[in-house]
Amino acid sequence: MRMSTPSFTRQNLLCAAALGLIFLCAPFPQVQVVLHAMLVLALAPRAGAPLSGALWALAAGWVLEGSHLYPHMGGTAWADMTLTLLTGWMAGRWPLEGLKGWLGRLAALSVLHAFLVHGAVRLATVPYPWGGGWFWTLLSVPLWGWVAWRLLQSGPGSGRR
Amino acid sequence: MVWQRLFLLLLWLGQGTWVLLGPNPGRHWSQLADVFSRPSQGLASRWEGWRVSRREARRNLAESRAEAARLEAELAQWKTRAAQEAPRLSEADEAVRLLGLKQQIPLELKAARVIFSTRPATFGGLILDRGQDLGLVDDQGVLVPEGIVGRLWSVGGTQSKVLPADAPNASVAVMLMRSRATGVLQGLGSERALIRYLSNQEVVQVGEAVLTSGLDRVFPRGLLVGYVAEVAQGDLELRVVVNLAAPLDRVRLVLLLPPQPPLEVQPPFVAPEVKPPRKRGLP
Repeated sequence: MRMSTPSFTRQNLLCAAALGLIFLCAPFPQVQVVLHAMLVLALAPRAGAPLSGALWALAAGWVLEGSHLYPHMGGTAWADMTLTLLTGWMAGRWPLEGLKGWLGRLAALSVLHAFLVHGAVRLATVPYPWGGGWFWTLLSVPLWGWVAWRLLQSGPGSGRR
Repeated sequence: MVWQRLFLLLLWLGQGTWVLLGPNPGRHWSQLADVFSRPSQGLASRWEGWRVSRREARRNLAESRAEAARLEAELAQWKTRAAQEAPRLSEADEAVRLLGLKQQIPLELKAARVIFSTRPATFGGLILDRGQDLGLVDDQGVLVPEGIVGRLWSVGGTQSKVLPADAPNASVAVMLMRSRATGVLQGLGSERALIRYLSNQEVVQVGEAVLTSGLDRVFPRGLLVGYVAEVAQGDLELRVVVNLAAPLDRVRLVLLLPPQPPLEVQPPFVAPEVKPPRKRGLP
């Protein structure tokens, strides 16, 4: 079962909704981090169209850092853009066959994302504690991965379920 | 599609550059400038350190030279002063020794200074700075701490002449220290003299001390005259050559014995010889 490609409109609407939720969930950092990972790793990447995904990831990073007023913003946005480009390239190079592969890839990319974001923010600002966001993100991969899978696969895309 | 990828690349690079610049972008430029200026700063600091050390060394050298010049001048001054003081110091030493001798001999001794010496000449003598003004008379014995010098030959108003013991026309009654054999000392010149009238039967050793015997009534008994230098058998008497103990050519201060002193004076002028300790059991 090869994963079908959703429509641009649907994907952009989902990204916009996720971005809004990230902004609105500023009082709840754990939830915000999970939504942020979901947008960057699951909703924004698109094989063959890297620009829109990169812009959404960029926006997600800036919104996340802006809601917490980092000393020198931009590290998260750069890491998000890099991961989104990498995920989109991987989706084109190695198309997904099913939900399990999707979840496994998301888990691996979540770890990579956590490292990259931490390093980029450390580079842009100052050393800071890891926190527990990466843990909640990794723990909830099955949940938000499944939700993203359902959102991207449902509707009038390929018609096959 | 190309412009899209180019835009994406620029966006990614720009964002990355922004991240790399960090919170204070100016610090990167200052760090970069620091890195590039480090070699020149190191060179400049070394150059400055070398200049400072050279200036310091030059100043130290100048100070050392000045100190050396000052010390040299001071040394020359001290040498001059020492040279000026040397005769007086030597005379003072001699005076101290004379004083010691004076304390050893329980007679009324008078001191005089030698102001001139005609000793290298034949029948030469010593000229003293005192004469009749000190109550001196002819034939008074003259001595120094090392031994006898001679006798007064002629006494003037303020000066007097000493006939040294090594003069050919001088004679002193002497005796040998061990055998106590007596004779008459007759001068040979050059601080040497000959003992006359010693029997061939006498046993005389080279190095034996020769003392005054007191028989001439010029010197009391026991004053050191010299040491035996040569002993030879003669036809009628022993030929005994004596090296006089007193340095006649270098005498500057002398003591004068009273006229016709007593024969014996205590304590003896010459200290007894120290014999080596005998080991127990040996004869």
